[in-house]
Amino acid sequence: MTTKMVRILFPLAALALLVLIPLGQGNYIIYVMTSWLMFSIAAMGLNLTLGYAGQISLAQASFMGIGAYITALLTLAGYHWVVGWVAAMGACFGIGLLLGYPALRVQHHFLAFVTLAFNTLVFLVLRNEEWLTGGNHGLVGMPRPSFFGISTGKNLEFYYFVLILFVISAAVFYWIVNSPWGRAFKALRENPVRAESLGVDTRRITLLAFAIGSAFGGGAGAIMSPLVQFIEPGSFALVHSLKILLMVVVGGAGLFYGPMLGAAVVILLPEFLRFTEGYYLMIYAALVIVLMVYSPTGLIGLGTKLWQQIRPQSEVRKDMSKGAQL
Amino acid sequence: MIRRLAATTLTCMALTAPAAMADVVLADVAELSGAGAAAGAVWHDGVKMAVEEINASGGILGEMIDLKEYDSQTDPQNSRAMVQKAIDEGAYVLLGTVYSSSTVVNMLVAQQNGVPQLTGSESPTITAKGNPYIFRTAFGAQKGLPKLVSYLKDGLGAEKIAVVWANTEFGKGGYDAFMSIADEQGLEIVADVSTEQGQVDFAADVTKVKGSGADAVFVYLTEEESARFLIEAEKQGLELPLGGDTVLVSQKVIDLAGGAADGAFGHVGLSAEAPVPAIQEMAARFQEIYGYSADHNAIKGYIGVYVVKYVTEQIGEFDREKFAETLHGLCLSAADYPGVLMDVCWDETGEMSRESFLVEVVDGSQEITESLPAN
Repeated sequence: MTTKMVRILFPLAALALLVLIPLGQGNYIIYVMTSWLMFSIAAMGLNLTLGYAGQISLAQASFMGIGAYITALLTLAGYHWVVGWVAAMGACFGIGLLLGYPALRVQHHFLAFVTLAFNTLVFLVLRNEEWLTGGNHGLVGMPRPSFFGISTGKNLEFYYFVLILFVISAAVFYWIVNSPWGRAFKALRENPVRAESLGVDTRRITLLAFAIGSAFGGGAGAIMSPLVQFIEPGSFALVHSLKILLMVVVGGAGLFYGPMLGAAVVILLPEFLRFTEGYYLMIYAALVIVLMVYSPTGLIGLGTKLWQQIRPQSEVRKDMSKGAQL
Repeated sequence: MIRRLAATTLTCMALTAPAAMADVVLADVAELSGAGAAAGAVWHDGVKMAVEEINASGGILGEMIDLKEYDSQTDPQNSRAMVQKAIDEGAYVLLGTVYSSSTVVNMLVAQQNGVPQLTGSESPTITAKGNPYIFRTAFGAQKGLPKLVSYLKDGLGAEKIAVVWANTEFGKGGYDAFMSIADEQGLEIVADVSTEQGQVDFAADVTKVKGSGADAVFVYLTEEESARFLIEAEKQGLELPLGGDTVLVSQKVIDLAGGAADGAFGHVGLSAEAPVPAIQEMAARFQEIYGYSADHNAIKGYIGVYVVKYVTEQIGEFDREKFAETLHGLCLSAADYPGVLMDVCWDETGEMSRESFLVEVVDGSQEITESLPAN
């Protein structure tokens, strides 16, 4: 099988699995899977910022929050969910640009601090502006949308609805990273000086990566509103940004399937480790540390590494490996 | 050979199936880890103890209770998922959660699925949402606080009050209720200090209270934060009377704060020290089994399971719809239903009323200073 065929067949097989798995499952499994798809979209956005453009952002949860609150307020006011979704992504894109413009003057770990402050700021605004956000009591009872008479009220219906959004997001993401922009992002991450010398406007490209990544966060937030049907500031605190960052890093930053795998691990692993009771957080933390030491490119990197070791390889002639020394 | 195997299998299935079917599943969704573990784990032990007692005496309508536990990790969204899981796994009635910020989220799922839920949360908002399936095991802050405010005003003669509260769903509910009652009663609020969940350093907060010129302090924090506040107040030599609700004078806070808790007082719905023999016996058994003192959360969990038993036996079948209908407006007397420990009534919203107590911490234990009638 050629690599090209694998590239086409793998997503199709994965999609077929995603369609089939929830059939006949209980509501809990369906809820967890929907939640996984939602976090995958948010992690995809961060992957663009972190994995492709090489900038650390600790504000992805706050963009989810902004998206979730915008969608909640609009749908509660009687607008269709799509209006909320578009507004959420648009607003996050705009805020991403506004925040990114001054923030990206400072890069890398300084950007991490700026986004960290931004996340805390958003949390405080959501909590203290009670007239708009409901403060600590949050917003409750957001309706699940219906399209052309088809309701998404039931959990399984809502899962398929989110799956469609997930596929759209993944397609857009794939298109971005394989477009000239995507190549510019990668060039920027690998060697900013060289990228600039080749005519890439680094400031503009980084800003764009950050804003698009933020818009993905807003899109995921727009899903959270009707999924949980309750939002409160605590769901978008800094610790959740760290969780999304962990998803990207554990899965494999800069790899297409990385954040999806990472989100699955972060959401599902606590379930698998439940039998260890109080120790699961420790085991989980230890696993992440070991993973980062052994394979900084995450689980996908680890898989590739192992595959390289076991797959049959053509032996290089020993004299050739010495090359010009002989 | 195959026939014999099939016959054996069938016999085994026939023998095991009725036993498995005869269990009634109760789900306890509680804060077993995370910031709320100090409350949730104690609640869970109270639930476990009642389940064991009921199973030992023949179960509910002759069926054993199969108690399933779910850890919310003190995360509202996770608690929602766990309630969903509990319902998928056939829970007859849900017990928990204790933290109000989780309960307001997960009670929606229970409502959508028509599963009755007995919560340990005390935030006023819980029973104000018109959810027909939610029931309290301890009354909401809005019922307890008027009693405390009148004690601050008439008992202590305080006019200026400093308020220290947790800026969470739980704290905000109590804070709003306290402020409106204080306003009605004409108390002046001279310091309004909001704190974070999981806050470690209360130095600045205590300093602010100290400099405010207050006559008394109203403290409305969760367990660990209450203890930290009390320790800091002692360190800085804050001489003002420190009053609060159930949590401030709970056994968990006394254990955590040590001597710093002495002198704190509060209005308590349930206490292991209450002058009620049934509660004291229950607390003694609890101490024996789990090796630590029961607090209001343990008693809440304990009562919750017995309520499930009594209500189910009244309706004579395991019917969730009828369970919720029956519990609305029901009164259970401790004489006829010893498991509820004290006479108790529920209204149409799931709110409950019961006798309550004014408590002061003296030498590391609660001392009841006054018993207040149910309202």
